[in-house]
Amino acid sequence: MSNQPPKVIVFTSPYCSWCKRVKSYLHQSRIRFTEVDVTKNSSAARDIVRRTGQQGVPVTLVNNRPVIGFDRAKLDRLLGIKV
Amino acid sequence: MNERKYEQYDLIIIGGGPAGLTAAIYSSRAGFKTCIIESGIVGGEAASTDLIENYPGFPDGISGMRLTENIANQAKKFGVEIITDRVVKIKEDLTSQDDIYKIINTSSGQIKAKAIIIAVGTKPKLLNIPGEKEYKGHGVSYCATCDGFFYKDKKIAVIGCGNSGIQEGLFLLRFVKQIEFVEFLPKPTAEKVLLDKIKKYENVNFNLNSSLLSIEGNGKSVTHIKIKNNKTGKIKEIKISGVFIYVGLKPNTEFLEGFVQSDKDGYVIIDQNQKTNVQGVFAAGDATIDTVKQITTAVGSGARAAINAGHYIENMKF
Repeated sequence: MSNQPPKVIVFTSPYCSWCKRVKSYLHQSRIRFTEVDVTKNSSAARDIVRRTGQQGVPVTLVNNRPVIGFDRAKLDRLLGIKV
Repeated sequence: MNERKYEQYDLIIIGGGPAGLTAAIYSSRAGFKTCIIESGIVGGEAASTDLIENYPGFPDGISGMRLTENIANQAKKFGVEIITDRVVKIKEDLTSQDDIYKIINTSSGQIKAKAIIIAVGTKPKLLNIPGEKEYKGHGVSYCATCDGFFYKDKKIAVIGCGNSGIQEGLFLLRFVKQIEFVEFLPKPTAEKVLLDKIKKYENVNFNLNSSLLSIEGNGKSVTHIKIKNNKTGKIKEIKISGVFIYVGLKPNTEFLEGFVQSDKDGYVIIDQNQKTNVQGVFAAGDATIDTVKQITTAVGSGARAAINAGHYIENMKF
């Protein structure tokens, strides 16, 4: 893995409990990320659907690779988080 | 495999929904070394509920996320530890001469505890019909608060007219253009207060006595559903962009098979003190045989389980 920190974007909505779980897991793992609230950014919502086909949040992009929902194993793998 | 090293606890609570969190408040406040193991979201299914209007103390209602966060913060204040992990098996510690500890195997380690409270809650039931699995996340959803916004100005279907279906339908009406409700029974089973609210909307339609046969699409997203009227046998196609399914719940108790007694649907059998058939193992909340599945009753059963687990630990001989 390169030493460059990964670029992480989390797409969320304010009512979504799984989004909160993803954010708190990233905080806990000391991963910096940008949050995009799709309810305030319709083009971001359309972008998720275009890229992933996924009609829902959370979706996390790790260096442009999508992680759907709170998929801890995939987040760990893409972010190099060691349990 | 590198196993995570965990400590020993007086009480392990499996599940961090309202029942588990309340048990944790009582147990840690009473001075027992307590830990919650939660595989998903602290708050459980309740955390996904948009508005809870029947929890005492909140005259204007409260969001499920806010309520469960408050309960979790209260538990943390008394020193409870919360571990994110998945329990795979529980067994008695046969190496211990006096057999006082239970061993909890998780996906990343092993924990010992003097007593256990099972508060694992439930998950949405699947319909197991054509299209449901294929279009999950691409038009099929079980979480209105996660996915509702993606159906802005679109027509959707909500399957099931119990409390969950109608409550989530009310949330979805903030975004969607129209809802087609589909209900197997001759009338909706939701509480009157919820039905009175939804009936005020003109953009809802009820398909009663109707079974969902299939969810169909174009390979990328859902385009329509097929339903059958159980009285007339007539099959109808309805064009929609999304389907939200609320047809009941099933307990998250698969990992307990063979360890505690449960009924034919997997709900843990308990007595009036929340005790299971295994000494030192208690159960609380929606995963038990208690037929009332409410946050208030979950909270009460969590308190009762913790108090009785406390008595059990205090009376153990070391």
